[in-house]
Amino acid sequence: MSEAQQHTYESATARIEEIIRRLDSGEAGLRETLDLCKEGRELVEFCAGELDAVGQGLEELRLDELVARLEQRPAE
Amino acid sequence: MTEQARPEGIPGVESAGPFAVGVYAKTLQARMRERARVQLFGEVFNMRRGRGAKVYFELRDGDGAVPCSMWRNDFEKLGPAADAVVDGAQIVVAGGPDYYPGSRTSSPSFSFQVTGVRVAGEGDLLAQLDRLRKTLAAEGLFEPQKQLHRPLLPRTIGVVTGEAGKARDDVLAGLHRRGWGGRVVWAFAPVQDRHAAPRITQALQDLAAIDEVEVIVVARGGGSLADLFAFCDETLCRTVALLRVPVIASVGHHTDRTLIDDVAAVSCSTPTHAAESAVPLHCTEARASVARCAASLQRHGRQAVVVRARALAQLSRAPAEHVARHRARLHQWLREIRAAGRRGCDRRRTDIRTRAVVLDRKLGAARGPETEARRARVESLAAAIAAHDPERVIARGYAVVDDREGNLITSAQAARDARAVRLFFADADVDARIEE
Repeated sequence: MSEAQQHTYESATARIEEIIRRLDSGEAGLRETLDLCKEGRELVEFCAGELDAVGQGLEELRLDELVARLEQRPAE
Repeated sequence: MTEQARPEGIPGVESAGPFAVGVYAKTLQARMRERARVQLFGEVFNMRRGRGAKVYFELRDGDGAVPCSMWRNDFEKLGPAADAVVDGAQIVVAGGPDYYPGSRTSSPSFSFQVTGVRVAGEGDLLAQLDRLRKTLAAEGLFEPQKQLHRPLLPRTIGVVTGEAGKARDDVLAGLHRRGWGGRVVWAFAPVQDRHAAPRITQALQDLAAIDEVEVIVVARGGGSLADLFAFCDETLCRTVALLRVPVIASVGHHTDRTLIDDVAAVSCSTPTHAAESAVPLHCTEARASVARCAASLQRHGRQAVVVRARALAQLSRAPAEHVARHRARLHQWLREIRAAGRRGCDRRRTDIRTRAVVLDRKLGAARGPETEARRARVESLAAAIAAHDPERVIARGYAVVDDREGNLITSAQAARDARAVRLFFADADVDARIEE
């Protein structure tokens, strides 16, 4: 795995749009179609994960709180 | 003025009085007005034309400031020069100090009552600002921020703003409008006084030092150019230009232009707009879009298989259908052949019957009168032959005699000679013996 992990949200959505354009063209053969659908599903899952990460509700932190939290992280 | 009872003074204090404040204010006003009329020069700040009888502004330089007011009628008499009296303009004013004593319902105020104005040229601060802007531009410091990649969907946003300012709420409103629910890291800093620029600079550096922070918003509400001047600080602007994190600036109103607006990646007119720029993606719409993409991919995948499976099924049925089609055609041909055979037989049967009738008719026609005559003669001959048949004679009571060896005996002598004879009657023969 996974190519999806190397993507950013914008590159993933751009690739999904490219895949759908190719599929809509009707020019892809069976094997290519199935491969594109598989790749597209992985990218959709990646995008959905990114959206979920910013869909849990706003978290507000003061800068010093974040710094303190980050300083504690190695000890955890 | 109403008379008031004069209270006792403060024990131990030798100053004159106590005086009624209104009297003192009027006296103060008179003393102010007695002071010499002078001319001052400086830069205009916080010009407020309003709709009242007076226009107000401050005259400032590096060492101090004086609040000024001018009757609107006098101001408008300046003509085109009045339009040049704007924030940052260097002007010379004539007039003198004045004091508005106020009342029970209005506040007192001190101002330099301006009676004449001359516009001296571009304000030093604006000129200084312009020089700095040109310097930064020449060094290419307006570009680095604009080259930075701004994520479409950041997870963590840093915000530098005043802790008690309305800009904070506006930023949150903008993020809410985007449907974004990530992490906001607040770096609160003063945004107006002379301590503001270094604190803002430090806050920006601290935020940029955190890997998780993907974009920084610097937000401040509206104010005079002097109020916003902290955001024109050279150190601050150079720091912003070289940060690794894109900075989105929203300082003052849309008519204000500070140097941070030039060096930042994006300059926005309001904090709300800045927040929306920090999250370019509308998360709610994006979720719907991703769902549509997922559905589209699923549909394509299913169709790719189903359509081809149908084609294969069609192809697999083709031979059987071909055979069935031919079988049906053969059956049809067979029916047609049988029908044609029946029709041929019927036609031939009819022909034969017709010919038989014709032959019969010809046979009838071939029979003539000679045939009847021949038949009568034959019958006559047959009757003649029958008349000579010995069987018929015997039948009438006669008998035939032989010698039992087949030799007919036709006389009495022969009978005596033979002695043993046989008599043939119509029904049977009888052996007899001649005794004589």
